[in-house]
Amino acid sequence: MTISTDSGTAADAAAPEDVPAPARGRRGWLLVIAALLVGTLLGLGIGFLVPRLSTPGDGSVEAGFLRDMAVHHAQAVEMSMIVHEKSDDPEIVYLASDIALTQHGQIGYMQAWLRDWHLSPTTTRQPMAWMPDSAGSVVNGLMPGMATPEQMADLRKATGKDLNVQFLTLMRQHHLGGIHMAQEAVRLSHNSDVKWLAGTMVTSQQGEITVIDNLLKKIQGQQ
Amino acid sequence: MSTPGPERVPSTVKVGKTTGQGKPPTGPAKKTVANAKKAGPAKKAGGGKGKKPVTPVKVSGSRSMGPILVIGAVALVALAIVGFAIFNVVQGSRSWEDKVADIKGVVNYRAQKNPQIDDRNHKDGTLSYVTSPPVGGAHNATPQNCNGDVYDAPIANEHAVHSLEHGAVWVTYKQGLPADQVAVLAKKVQGKDYSLMSPYTGLDKNVSVQVWGYQLKTDDVNDPRIDEFIKDTRVVAALEPGISCSGGNTTTGPVTAAANGASMGNGK
Repeated sequence: MTISTDSGTAADAAAPEDVPAPARGRRGWLLVIAALLVGTLLGLGIGFLVPRLSTPGDGSVEAGFLRDMAVHHAQAVEMSMIVHEKSDDPEIVYLASDIALTQHGQIGYMQAWLRDWHLSPTTTRQPMAWMPDSAGSVVNGLMPGMATPEQMADLRKATGKDLNVQFLTLMRQHHLGGIHMAQEAVRLSHNSDVKWLAGTMVTSQQGEITVIDNLLKKIQGQQ
Repeated sequence: MSTPGPERVPSTVKVGKTTGQGKPPTGPAKKTVANAKKAGPAKKAGGGKGKKPVTPVKVSGSRSMGPILVIGAVALVALAIVGFAIFNVVQGSRSWEDKVADIKGVVNYRAQKNPQIDDRNHKDGTLSYVTSPPVGGAHNATPQNCNGDVYDAPIANEHAVHSLEHGAVWVTYKQGLPADQVAVLAKKVQGKDYSLMSPYTGLDKNVSVQVWGYQLKTDDVNDPRIDEFIKDTRVVAALEPGISCSGGNTTTGPVTAAANGASMGNGK
């Protein structure tokens, strides 16, 4: 309001001689002010939008991967904690704590990024919907590699060598499913953070599969 | 020179109207025109600033109506697009509390500040709760396992309330609900961390969905509000963000002495 009043005065001042001149001056100022206002509004709006639109959206590969991998990881944490509590093999106990702590920490990364991007940590979309050709890979809500409720119940009941073998077998399967998802995220994502985290999942879980295979041989060799 | 004069005056008014079609800049612009007209003849003062625009504006002025209209229209469209995008972004980044408050029929028990519901202590044995099913209150040291667990028999409130504290959505249904309807509900829970499901004895509706401090009851298992509620509250309703939903009790039935923090040994 202040600005427009000023402009009116300025326009009057500009043209003392004849009638058309002030009209022209006024119009010029009005256009400048309108342009400035529109420009300022657009600038503010775009400045507000750019940081938000340059982060992955609700339906993005990144959001889909982070949400699904958080769920996938949660089961690895669960299996590991069961075994960490019950196993009597120090090597298995250490592996279990390693997997549980790493994957629970990674869930924190993934949820924090979703929060940074102003996205919900959960979705009503089908699991794996972000991955092309993933139809049919989800069975009873379980993503590839995940243990069934029956397998989880068996693991809770198992003891001794049975427990260790079941854990290693389930975790091997779990890692294979997880590695495949992480590889797809590395391939499809354009977000450097997501590519980095997914990349570390691929390499570290591939490394752990070697450890698991060696442990399986060793344990199954014992009678 | 007398002809362009009258022409130009209405054209100024037109510009005011054009820029002003329902957008923020309009108000000031129109008023400026009015002010300028009224005040114009009365005031006369010499100003260095004003001299510059006179000639150039005159030259371009009479011819520039077309471009100005186009530029004005483009500016309006740009403002509308940016405005719409901002609206969507702001809507999308609202807090989960605001989103769940928009779901019809959701009862917000957090707002009631009921000390019995807000109680987060660990207590042994059978406990009584304000609501049925409970949405908060003192609870057993061991949570009920809530990593997408579907229980086929009633579970202890005392364990389930602890799961709510961890951010779990607890889907409960009236005992005896037909199997096909139970299957519809199970799909919303299976394979989803921070969720669990169980039948509930004496439930007054077919379905009740709850997180800590919020509850939605409905008779229809296909009620879209169930999905909305789960989407808006799961994980984020946790009073202890980042905590796990595993390591809990996995048995059904009422709370027992053996289940008092001892069964899985992992109550947090």
